[in-house]
Order: sequence, then C-alpha cells, then structure tokens
Amino acid sequence: MKGLIFNINRYSVHDGPGIRVTFFMKGCPLSCRWCHNPEGISPDPEIADQTERVGEKEFIKKEEAGKLYSAGDLVEILDRERIFMDKSGGGVTFSGGEPLFQADFLAEALSACRNSGYHTAVDTCGYTETSKLLAVMPFTELFLYDIKHIDDNIHYLNTGVSNALILNNFNVLMESGKDIIVRIPVIPGFNDDQSSLDQLRSFLISKKRNNLKRIDLLPYHKTGISKYRKFRRENKMDEVEQPGKERMLELKDYFSGTGIKIKIGG
Amino acid sequence: MIISERVKKLRKESLDAVETLSAERAQLITMFYKSDAARELSSPVKRARAFEFLLKNKALYIGEGELIVGERGPAPKQTPSYPEVSLHSLEDLDILNKREKVSFLVTEEVRNIYREQIIPYWKGRSNRDRIMDLMAPEWHKAYNAGIFTEFQEQRAPGHTVAGYKIFTKGFLDLKDEISKSIAHIDYLNDPLAYNKYEELKAMNIAADAIIMYAERYAVELDNLALKEDDPVRKNELTRMAEICRKVPAHAPGTVHEMLQHYWFIHVGVISELNPWDSFNPGRLDQHLYPLFKKERETGSLSMEELYDLLGCFWVKFNNHPAPPKMGVTASESSTYTDFCLINLGGVKPDGSDAVNEMSFILLDVIKEMRILQPGSMVQISNKNPDTFIHKAIDIIRTGFGQPSCFNTEAIIQEQLRQGKSITDSRNGGASGCVETGAFGTEACWLTGYFNLPKILELTLNNGFDKRTKVQVGLQTGYASDYKSFDELTEAYKAQINYFAAVKIKGNNIIMRTFASFLPVPFLSLIIEDCIKNARDYNDGGARYNNSYIQGVGLGSVTDILTSIRYNIYDRKTLTWDEMIKATDADFEGFEDIQRDLIYNTPKYGNDDDYADQHAVAVFEIFHDAVNGKPDSRGGVHRINMLPTTSHVYFGSVTGATADGRKARKPLSEGISPSQGADKQGPTSVLRSASKIDHLKTGGTLLNQKFAPQFFEDEDSYKCLTALIRSYFALDGHHIQFNVVDAYTLREAQKHPELYRDLIVRVAGYSDYFNDLGEDLQNEIIMRTEHRCEQ
Repeated sequence: MKGLIFNINRYSVHDGPGIRVTFFMKGCPLSCRWCHNPEGISPDPEIADQTERVGEKEFIKKEEAGKLYSAGDLVEILDRERIFMDKSGGGVTFSGGEPLFQADFLAEALSACRNSGYHTAVDTCGYTETSKLLAVMPFTELFLYDIKHIDDNIHYLNTGVSNALILNNFNVLMESGKDIIVRIPVIPGFNDDQSSLDQLRSFLISKKRNNLKRIDLLPYHKTGISKYRKFRRENKMDEVEQPGKERMLELKDYFSGTGIKIKIGG
Repeated sequence: MIISERVKKLRKESLDAVETLSAERAQLITMFYKSDAARELSSPVKRARAFEFLLKNKALYIGEGELIVGERGPAPKQTPSYPEVSLHSLEDLDILNKREKVSFLVTEEVRNIYREQIIPYWKGRSNRDRIMDLMAPEWHKAYNAGIFTEFQEQRAPGHTVAGYKIFTKGFLDLKDEISKSIAHIDYLNDPLAYNKYEELKAMNIAADAIIMYAERYAVELDNLALKEDDPVRKNELTRMAEICRKVPAHAPGTVHEMLQHYWFIHVGVISELNPWDSFNPGRLDQHLYPLFKKERETGSLSMEELYDLLGCFWVKFNNHPAPPKMGVTASESSTYTDFCLINLGGVKPDGSDAVNEMSFILLDVIKEMRILQPGSMVQISNKNPDTFIHKAIDIIRTGFGQPSCFNTEAIIQEQLRQGKSITDSRNGGASGCVETGAFGTEACWLTGYFNLPKILELTLNNGFDKRTKVQVGLQTGYASDYKSFDELTEAYKAQINYFAAVKIKGNNIIMRTFASFLPVPFLSLIIEDCIKNARDYNDGGARYNNSYIQGVGLGSVTDILTSIRYNIYDRKTLTWDEMIKATDADFEGFEDIQRDLIYNTPKYGNDDDYADQHAVAVFEIFHDAVNGKPDSRGGVHRINMLPTTSHVYFGSVTGATADGRKARKPLSEGISPSQGADKQGPTSVLRSASKIDHLKTGGTLLNQKFAPQFFEDEDSYKCLTALIRSYFALDGHHIQFNVVDAYTLREAQKHPELYRDLIVRVAGYSDYFNDLGEDLQNEIIMRTEHRCEQ
C-alpha cells in the first residue's frame, strides 16, 4: 500500500514534542477559509508552479505536489533523522491535509513507525469516521486535535462541514485516555470574538481530563498566501491581518482559566 | 551583570577609537637593528634584546578608570607594524588609509617616518622579501593563480594559547627553570649545546624584560596616585602599582592579579612579533575559578568588583585590532578581529565536567559587553549540563554570533589521534576560528588556505589557468578527455597531490626562515616544553608541533563534481562541450542550463548520498595529500576545513562552475553547503556535514543561519540543544549560528548608517556587518534561512 504525501518537513519543532519529521498527507474533507496548506485539500496529485530564478530570468517549473510513499519508505526517512529524535525526545507527526483521509495507509505507516521505535503523533481535524480513528489509535501516542469552533453553523459556513462528528470523536479520544493536545487556530473574524472564545473555553473546561495535556493557540498567519498563487487558487483571506503578539498573550491568559497548560504556537 | 559606569565609558572609548597605524614599534625596532647593540648576536639573543629595547622604550598608557594596564601601541587601537616580518610600502600605507573596509588611519607624520627611517632600512630585508625570493617558480605560479595563500608572508606563526602553566607561575619561576635547563646542557655529547645555551639566554632576557615592563607601569601608577585627588581612584592606582610589582614576576594570587598577569603576557606576545590569532587566554573559566572561589570565601572580592575587572579586561582585547594586512592576506582575512577565542566549559584534566560558576559568569560578561573582541566559544561535552548550553543559546539568539559551539569529545579524539597525552588533549580546545590545539603545550600553525574548486577547474583545463594565462598545474588532460567520472577523479587527485606538495615544500622553507631569523624567546617561555628542550617555539621547541593546510570550498567542489557526474556521465543530459560553452560564457545566453544546474541537480547539504559521497571523496583525497607529511620543525602537516574570508577571495579567482555558480562569486565556506543549496532544513545539513571524518582534521567549520523565530521559547531551546548534541554525537567538530533575518540584513546594506552595531557571524568569527565587503554581505544574506513554514 502507498500513501500520497505532499510535503515532508524535517526539523519540525511545532508539531509535537522534540525534533520531529512531519509528513503532510494529501486530502482533506474540510475547506477552511484560512487553510495555509491548500495543496493538501485535494486527494489527488496536482501540479504547482514553481518559480526558478536565474539572475533576472524566471523559469516556471511544473512541480507535482503529492508523491507516493510506502510505509517502509517513510521509516527509511525517519531512520536518517533518528539521532535528532533520540536527543530531543522527538518522533514523527502525520499531518495534512487530513491524515485520516488516507486512514488505511495511515494505520500501516503508524504501525511501521511504532515497530521501529518512533514516537508517533497524528495531527487531525477530527472529521472522520469513528471506526477509522479507533483503527489508528493503538499506534498513536499523541493526538494533535483541532477544535475550531463550538457553534455548528459558524463551523459549517467557514469549513464546509458540521462539527458534530468532530466533537463526538473528541469525546471518544478523551475517553480512550490517549494523550491529546488541542489546537485552536485563532482566526480573526471567525473565532476570536468574545462569544466564540467563551464557548470554546467552556467546552474545554467541561471535557478536561488528565490526558488533555495542553492547548495550543495557533495564530493565523499569512505564509499560505504565496501557495494560493502557486496553486492558482482564490484566496479568501486577503483582508485578514495576523493577530499580534499582545492579542495572543491576552488569549493565553484567557484560556489559562481552564487550568490546562496553554502554548502560543505549536 | 550590570555594567558599571567605568566599564561603559571604557567600552565606548574603545568602540569610538579610530584604528590608526602607529610607527612607534617600527621605529624602535629599526633603531635597535641599526645600533651597535644588535651586532654580533645570535638570532635568539638579538630578538630578545629587541624585545627588551621595545618594552623599555615604548610609551605607557593608563586610561582613565582602567583597572588593567598595558597596550601594544601608544593608545587604544593604535596599531603597530612589524617591518622585520613584512614591510609596508608607501603605496600600501595609502591603501590602508583609503580603503573602505578595515582601514587604518595613516598620518602624514607616520608616512614620513616610513619614508625616511623604516623603508630605507628594511627594503629587501623583511622576512617577506626573504620568503618571496626563496619560493620556487611553481609556488609563485600557484600563489598568483589563487591555488593557495601563505599565512606567514605577513604575520608570524602563532595560533597559540596559554595553558595551565602560565596561570600558576611567575616569570621568576620560569627563570629558575631556565637555570636548571642551562645546567643540564651536555656540552660533551650534544652538538646543539651552544644553540641551546643561546636560546635559553634569550629566554632569560625576555623574562627580565617583561618584569621590567611591569615595573615601569608600577612607577607610573605610583606617580599618578600621588597626583590623584579622588581618594577612591588614588587607592585603586596604588593597588594596581602593587599588583604590577607582583605579576608577572610572581604567580598571581587574586583574580585581579591573574587578569593583569595574563594581560602583560598577552601584550608581550603580540609585541614580540605579530603572531596569527594574537594570543589567547584559552580556558579562562578554569583558570579564574580557583582564585575566584578563594576570594569569595574570604570576602576579598565582591561581585561588583569582579564584573568591573572582567569588563576592563574585555575592553583590553577590543583595543587591539589585528595588525594591518595587505594584498591577498587582507582578502583572505579581511577583518579587525584578531581571533582571540575564549573557551568555556569542556572537561577538566581528569575528564570530569568542567562547567563551573565562572563559566556562567563569563557568559554573562560576553552577553553584556557585546563587543567583537575577544571572541568566545563554549566547549560542549557529553558531561556538561543542558543549562550551560541554554545559557549560551540565550546569547546566540541575540544575533551577534557568539559564542560558537564546539564538541569537546571530538577535540579530544582529534588530539589523541595526533598522539597527544589524554591530559594535554583535555586541556586543549579551539583557537582562532575553529582550530584544535593543546593549550600551553602546542605550536599548531596554520600555513595557508587551499582552493579545492580552483584545482578542479585546472583539472578540466589540462592544468592551464585561464585567468592568469599560465600553465599552473600538471598536464592531466582536458575535460572531454576524461572518458569516465573515475578518470576525472584520478586526474583531480593527481593535481591536488601536486599542489599540496608545492605548498608543503614552501612551508618547510618558510618555517626555517622563522626558526633562523625570527625566533620568539618570549613566547617560548610560555609554551611547554620550550625551556626544557632549550629550543624556540618557532623551531619545534613546543611539546607538540602541527602544521595545517586549510581546505576551502568543500560544498562548492562537491556540487561541481556532483553536477558533472549527474548531468554528463550518469544521465548524459549535457555533453562536456555544452557544459564548457556555458561556463566559459559565464552562463550568459545559457540560463536554461544554469537553471538546471542550480535547481535540478543534487546538492551537498540535503543528506543526499549521491551528492555527499563526493564531499567524502574530496575530503579523503585532500587528507591523504597532506596528512602526516613532515614539516621542518619536527612536526607533521595536517588538514583543517575553515575559510575565514578566503572563500570570497578564492571565488574571485575562479571562473563559472558546473554547479551553476557565476564566475568570481564566493565559494561555499567551511564545510557549509553552498549558499542556498540546502533545502531540507538543518538536520539534513548536519547529516551531510557529518559524513566526512571530522576526527581526521584539526577543525571544521559549519555555519547555520537561523531566523529568530527558532529561539523564541523554552521548547525551541531544547530542540536547538538536541540539534547541537546530535551533531556532536555524529563527531561534528563545530557549529555556529547566525541569528538575524535576511530582511534586517538587506536593510543594513541599504542603510549602513542605521546598523552600525550589527554584528554577524562570518566564518569562525563575528564581525561588524558594515565592515564586510559587499560580496560577503550578499553571501551572508543568501545563506539559507531555516524558517518554519508549516
């Protein structure tokens, strides 16, 4: 079996503990307005325009985003990075897109990584059949779990899907006792108003267990903008500014009220 | 640490002082050489008497508020010249005065002194003249073509560091050792008995000279104390006078005494000659700690006093720019920095963790003083705590390129391989940029940079240099003659062997000129076992002697070979004819080819074995060409991989290359990937860089540029610590971090006036961004910035 991966990030230090390798898997059931990995949404390989500059001249290279790898291929990549993971308490993170979009391959890859002794994390939006989540659970040591909004309507309008399944899966995970880090993307105009924040905070307080290790507040950032150009997609976030440092510190303070450890950024 | 008003003022004075050429030393040395006193003396005694004459007659300088005294010139940043080593012509002086970067003010008065006194006596008599006369035609051809540089043409051999001995002994103790050594001379059986006696006599004169110099300061300090109205300063001056009467004659007993003791020695070494990398206190935390602890226990030293002393001590280094260089030497080492590298951490002589309170205190001093000199590094052993590394990262993140990080275990293993004792190896460290040495016991000399990519260029042109239009190398054939990649590799190997031999033959002559004409009896007092061996530092008197040739452009040459193999021999997408046309045209009109060479050809620095195997192959060829070849002072030749700024000079003599690099552009520096070639992030760079066998070198240099975002929280400190520890577990020798974003650098280039204090890591040292040539500025901007994109 092979999985479709559109990016591999070494020295990944914001997707779980220590120095990690993050595999970005193609395909996502959501279409978030602020998505900073738009090339991860489609489940198929696609062509991107890569500019290659030589002096004053520019060349455009058609680059395929999305290559097929076997679980063994991935483990070989990790083996090269092993020493950095050993020294830092790091490991491997599967992200996307939505890694559970390729759930069978994900389970096989996670299992192979565990067999080789790597710490495994899955960065998920939670929108997946519960059976698939249960299938990868035995090989996953940490879930990075996105919770974007508690209000179902707002969630639907901005991500294209209802949050019912996401919140239900979250309950399943919390009950399983697996380590979880909740990630909240802080998106101006979407979830940074007081009422949205209050709902998020109350929800997290109500779900609090020992295995909820941390809440990461991920400030919206504009690094995805160039990708929209590259992949010739419409960007719906032109007007939106990145939240400033002070605002993020305010939010950190606010969420500290949950009694859960809070981190700005991953 | 809170910087006192005193230190603030001295620091500012040092930063504001203008680098000026002083004629004082040149005048005194010339006066001595012309006098009757200099006649009929053996070389060592003549040099000792010259040293004595200099210290007896040079102006004293006591800055207002200073606690440590002694200057090489008449005042801070007044920099002497060394005409017996190399003579500046009037034209050289004009260039020094006018050049945009690293200039020295040359007054009309100094110019006149040069014209009337210095040049008439030394013209044709400096050691540089001697060397240039002695070198063979093939050496000159290679030197002019930019195959290698010559360290000793303008400066004396140095790269030397103080060890335990000098911090625990006074010069009266050393005089006792000299007497014992004289008593042991065996006139019956030893044919060198007379030479030994003359050398020891010279050392004895030099020891007396430094004590006399300190006494001159004591007298002057007493005079100032008498005139001083402020009772606090009066008291200070009196105490300083007492200290100058104690050290360096006797071993220091307090922190203040030790710093003054060292400083007199430092001034002595850099006044006697102009050794490369000035001189260096080495493992300063180890040396200071016992006295610091004792004084803290007895209550004789407050923390405020300690910081004041250390602040004053730091300023002293900054007062001493590297002596003015010219020509190729100025290009290969274009900086005011004189490469003192204070070592912190590492292990004790018994192998245990050496990090102590003084290690942390000195890191504070480095952080707060934030000046170019002295440079600083942390030796990181498996045994050192993470908190020590975190403290270092705290300073690294502020972006002035200090301290750099070194692998203690690698440094020890490199030295054990060279046959040093385990204790001497543990007492060693790195000096200059990254050079491994046994502190206090070794004369480890750098002899010149070696242009690996240029030699490949010659290999493709039958040994003919298109730039100078001279047959420089062996006639091994033209590019298209090489039917296979292996044939090309064999020819390249033959050329490297040839040029290494030319360089080594030159070295062996040049070393003898220093041993014969320019011995250093003062430096010989300090480095073991010169007294015991009754032999000069410049003549193999030290316990260990090693001579280095520094390979430059490993990343570039790897990418060039990789590209040739990939595009011409393996995939056959280009013919030699096409490649040569494109590079001969500097890619003008061949941008499509250049684009594939840059973007679609494997590169070193991405943990790609296809490319990295060529780094290993070139490294081994270079190593085998040099390593173990005898030098002419009882040691052997070895290799290093570091460039200072020579990768810019070497690039300027090298045409367009098969990796897509344009003609005259800088080569890669140290063992870092070519600028912009590493696309997979720092772990891949470290993996690539660790494929060569660092333990077979005397130092490698790896520069990593990080955006400030990588230093923002506790987790990122942990990851950086793990990154460093991983590289060192892979036997990496050294890594340094440049923390500044490309935007800031571009702004600084546009508005230099607003960024006068911007210090960046260059290659093994830090420098003011504004003092760098534009090429080097651009290169630093281009070096990959590792950003977190996800």
